[in-house]
Order: sequence, then C-alpha cells, then structure tokens
Amino acid sequence: MTSSASILRRVGLLWCTLAALLACSSSGPPPAVEPGTVSLVFRHGKISGDPRPLQDLIRRFEAENPTIRVRSEPLPSSTDQQHQIYAINLEGGSGGIDVLAMDVIWIAEFSRAGWIRPLNEFFPYTAQASFLPNTIEAVTYRGRVFAVPWNIDAGLLYFRQDLLERYDRPPPRTWSELVETARIVLAGEHNPRLYGFIWQGRQYEGLICNALEFIWGNGGDILTTDRQLTALTSPATRNALAFMRDLIRTYHISPSLVTTADEETSRHLFGNGQAVFTRNWPYAWTMFERAGSPVRGKVGVYPLPTFGNDRLASTLGGWQLGITRDSRHPREAWRFIEFLTSTEVQKILTVQVGMLPTRRALYEDPGMFATQPHLARLGPILAGARPRPVTPFYPMVSQVLQSEFSAVLAGLRDPETALRSAQLQLEPVLRLEAR
Amino acid sequence: MRDRSEIHTGYALLVPALAVLAVVAIYPILGLFWLSLRQRILPFGIDAFIGLDNFRLLVQTPRFWNSLGVTCYFAVLSVTLEVTLGLSIALLLARRFPGVGWMRAVILLPWAIPTVVTAKMWDWMYQPELGILNYFLRASGLTTEPVNWLGTPSLAIHAAIVADVWKTTPFVVILLLAGLALIPSDVYRAASLDGASPWQTFRHITLPLLRPILMVVVLFRMIDALRAFDLLYVMTSGGPADTTETLSIYAYKMLFQTLQFGYGSAIGVVMFMLVALVSLFQLWVGRRDSRRFVRARS
Repeated sequence: MTSSASILRRVGLLWCTLAALLACSSSGPPPAVEPGTVSLVFRHGKISGDPRPLQDLIRRFEAENPTIRVRSEPLPSSTDQQHQIYAINLEGGSGGIDVLAMDVIWIAEFSRAGWIRPLNEFFPYTAQASFLPNTIEAVTYRGRVFAVPWNIDAGLLYFRQDLLERYDRPPPRTWSELVETARIVLAGEHNPRLYGFIWQGRQYEGLICNALEFIWGNGGDILTTDRQLTALTSPATRNALAFMRDLIRTYHISPSLVTTADEETSRHLFGNGQAVFTRNWPYAWTMFERAGSPVRGKVGVYPLPTFGNDRLASTLGGWQLGITRDSRHPREAWRFIEFLTSTEVQKILTVQVGMLPTRRALYEDPGMFATQPHLARLGPILAGARPRPVTPFYPMVSQVLQSEFSAVLAGLRDPETALRSAQLQLEPVLRLEAR
Repeated sequence: MRDRSEIHTGYALLVPALAVLAVVAIYPILGLFWLSLRQRILPFGIDAFIGLDNFRLLVQTPRFWNSLGVTCYFAVLSVTLEVTLGLSIALLLARRFPGVGWMRAVILLPWAIPTVVTAKMWDWMYQPELGILNYFLRASGLTTEPVNWLGTPSLAIHAAIVADVWKTTPFVVILLLAGLALIPSDVYRAASLDGASPWQTFRHITLPLLRPILMVVVLFRMIDALRAFDLLYVMTSGGPADTTETLSIYAYKMLFQTLQFGYGSAIGVVMFMLVALVSLFQLWVGRRDSRRFVRARS
C-alpha cells in the first residue's frame, strides 16, 4: 500500500515538473486582451538571417494600430514541413491562424482547397498594378487573387569576375558560351579542386526549379497555358534535359556531385572559390559578399543563359501573404498584410534581411541602389522570372517530375523514356484537376 | 483438468488487454484498410469509394515496384550483415579478457545515438568534397575524382546500408550477448572433455542453443528494416532517381506531400502485409523448432 502511494506521489511529481517545463517553454499565458482589441495569429517560415527586424516591424504595427495585437509563430525552415503543418491545421479547421506566409507553389492548392480566401475586395486591380506582374500571376488562381506577394526570388547565374577577366571572357549569354568559358578557365587554372558549373540536381523541389530554367531557355515547357502536356514530350524539353545530363557526362564541367547538391552545398562550394559558375537564388549574393568570404568582391551576377532564344528563363520563387478562410478578423488581417507589403516595410526588409521587394517602384528608387547596388541589375531578371505550373496538384506534378528528372541525371533513363513516363503519370493528375 | 470458471476468469482477465489492443492497433489498421479502398484527396473535396482501384494503380506503377524492391533489398542485406557481424562481436565479447566491460559499453554507443543524428553524421562523411571518406581515398591516391557516394545510383543504397549496419549492429550484439549468457557452461565443459574443436562447439552447441534468441533478433530487425524511413529520408530523401526510396518513404511522399490519402494508405497496406508475412513465417519456423525440440526430448 505504502509503496503504491509513493509511486503515485512520484508520478504526480513528474507530471508537475513536466507541466512546469511546458509552461516555461511556451511564451506564457496569452496576454490579457482588453475589450475591443483583436488578436491575430501570423504564421510564417523561419526568417533566414536576423529575425529581429520582423519583430520590430510587428511591434511598430501594433503601436500604429492599438486595437490589433499580432502573435507571430515561426515554423521550421523546411518548406516541406511547413506545407505539412499548414495542410494538417487548415484541413482540420483547427488552425487558429489568421495570416500565413505561403510558398509561391502552394497558392493554387490552398485556394482550391478553400483554406485561404480570395482578396479581390481588398486588393483590386489598381493596387495589384504596383506589384511585379509575374508575382501577381503566381498568386492568381482561376481569375481571383488569393495572396499578396511579399518577397521575390529568381534563379541567377553567379560567376567569378576575376577568373573571367583573367581569360578575357565576357559573361555567357548562351549555354554553349558557358560551357566554352568554363572549359577555357578550367584548362588554364590546372586546379583539380576547381569546378566549372555547380547547380542543384538533388531529387527535391530545387531540381524542378533548375530543370525548368533549362527547359524554358530552350523554348520547352511542362504544362502549356491550356493545360496540355504536349510541350512536355517536345524535342525542346527533351534536349534541355539531355543538356543537363551532358553538363556532367559529356562536357565534364559539372561534377557528378551536383546530383546530390542543394542550394547550400552549391553556395558553400562557390563561396569557397571552388567553382567558376553557379546557379542560385538572390540570398547567396549577401553570403558571397559578406566580410571574410573568400570570393568577396570577385563575384558577378547575370541572368541565366539560354539556348539562344534571348528570353529570360528564371524560375520564380518567394513568399506570399494570405488570409485563412476561418479567420474571424479578415479586415484586421488585411491591415496587417497591407502594412507588411507596403513600400516602406519592403524597403526595410530588403536592407536589413535581404528579402527582395515585390513592388515595382522599389526597383526604380535611386535611394535603394545607393545601399543595394546589385538591385539595379537584378530588377529585370526578377521581373522576368516565370512561375512554375500554377495548379492545385502541383505537389503531385513535382513528385513525378523529381523522380524522372533525377533518373535522367543519374543516367538510369534517357530523356525520352523519362518524359514519356512522366506524361503517363501526369495525365490522371490533370484529369483530377478538370473535374 | 481445469474447471470451467477458471477458464472464464482467464478470459475476463484478458479483456482489458484486448480492449487496449483494439483501440491502439486494430482500429487504426482497419482504418488503413478502409482508406486504401477510397480515392481521397480531402483538400480538393475528392472522397469516393473506388474498391481495389488503388491497388490496381499500384501494380501498374513502376515506382511502386521499385520501392518494394528497394525495401526488400535494404532489409535482407542490412539484416544479414547486422546478424553476421553482431554474432561475431557477441562471441568475442562473451569471452573474459581485461577491459571487456569497457568494450561492451563502447560498442553500444552507435545504438544510443538518435537515428537522425547518425544519418546527418554519415551524410557528412559521404560528402564528395568535404567528407572524410573521400579525404582518405584521395590522400591514399586510390582516386583522383571524389566519389559521389550518395549521388551514384548503385552506391547510394549500399552507403545507406553501411550506415544502418553501423547503427543497429550493437542492438544485435546486446541481445545475442544475453542469449550467450544463458547457455550453461557445463555443456561447453562436456564438449571440451569430448575433444570437440572450437568450430564443432560453435556449430553443434552455441548455434542451436542460441537459435531461439537469434530468431527473435532477426524478426525484430526485419520488421524494423522493412519500415526503414528516418535514416534514408535524412540521407537521400529517396534519391537519386528513387534508388533509395523505400515503401515508407514512398508512402510518406504520397500521403503527406501530395495529400493522396487513399493511394498512400494502399502502400501502407502493402507494407503491413509484408511485415505480417515475415512475422508469420518466423512464427512458423519457431513453432516447428519447438515441436522438434519436444520430440527430441521424448
């Protein structure tokens, strides 16, 4: 009897400790809400870099809008995990989320699922016109706008200015020029640890972004605007994929390690001075140029090459702000989104966090070029970036393509077989969308 | 002869355990089977009974057969290596020599490390540019080009198996050490009096007496290996070109990334059957063994 009582006491003690720990780890009880105040929950992926500027901005918003309180809840930085958390919370209807930051590829899915609300009443065409048109295209599904573009990303070509100058080569405009330049530099340098061109070929979403840039640069595509797969099996798409494989296997300017590389691997290699060219998002620029970086002052940035058709072919990325359907305070949520996407706040986020703005005016603002000189060159590339296929079934499309493209790079299937297999798998997905 | 009320009491005492099992195991499994018969993509309002269509689609999908093959290959090869290696280490550690206590403790370390940490650790060691494996290969002049362990289709799965063997062999060692400790020392003494060679002792005494625990070890490891997820997901996420995509990684991608609950559950059902089949086979072998044992004694 006594022993069981003592066990009970111990268990009780354990529970108390656990409860105390939990109480410490959470941010305490929710702040007492005065009558008339509205409390918003804002969920977003962890900000890469300094989180303080965003916190300061939220405090400033609260000071300007004394009746609104904002609780910001950062999610893990992996986009797959964020997607999973949103899907479970929003489908379960128990999210308690008002404002959320979404990856550009989720907009169609989230709007079709009814998880986010259309914003046309708040965000009319006249207001949309001050944003970069491609970012508006990416947040529009079936004629309605579902989010406001917060920041923009696009694939860029980084190159070693010093090496190109040493061999008197201009930055490449076409892929064959890139291959030629890389070969000349590699032959001249005799450095076994120097690679020609590093990109992202790991089996993940980044592979789709990279592959689309080659495909678009050759005039190919995955889905045509009328939702057909005809472009997928076209020679243009096929040759673009074959070229990616040949960069590794025939031209030997990309090492086989690109088939496992993601953005960070690429950034480390180029940042260590181990590559002549690399493809990456704009965030890499800040890393290359920061104090102590071996390549500081030696890096040039340029639009990605094409196969000679002179069209810009960067994949569009970035984060968008939307309001959940279940939010009980859409009006206040909109005030918050309006604030976060305002010209002034975008300027602060660009300078302090390195998040590139979606408002057109900022790319024409001479004040911005003074502090961010590379913005002048990036503007046209960002404005020309193309969204990935806008479909609610994008995750399925991406899963199929990731596996087939990876098989081509690994040399397991030739591009024709892989693309035909992708077509077979994607047809049922498109039929689902047509329902 | 037991009396009737005793049997009734027995059943009554079983009820709580059965109730718990029903809630935590049987209900979810039935739920899985039910879901696998539906096309269900909830976010898009698609939810319909489609009979066996998911399974029909499954058998037509090369990616499914690929993941089934990867799963079996991974499970059979890693368990074989783990048991062979684990048995050798256990036989060594069962002897008495100075420092054996320390050795036993040290050998358990890999098992104590969380799988995700193990996976990240090996990921770095395999890294083509910065990894220690390529550093040694290059320093010894064996290769000039770095080997892309996790990016080459034929290498990636084996690289993952090595990491898995490193991590789980200690588990096999602990269980087999316990099994070896149970073998009475007088049978060994009798064997040495009869002049048995070490190999004969191992073949005709150690191995048969260790057999029951060996079966349990293989069963546990097989069930675990057939569900392999975390190690592979962290190291390769199934790539390159799905060559390391096991059934559970495929199911995860279909369930939680593309939200196809019906199709994903069908993959789950196949995994369940696979594990059930292996367990039944082991049970059958175990029963046969114990029957033989009884017959041999009588």
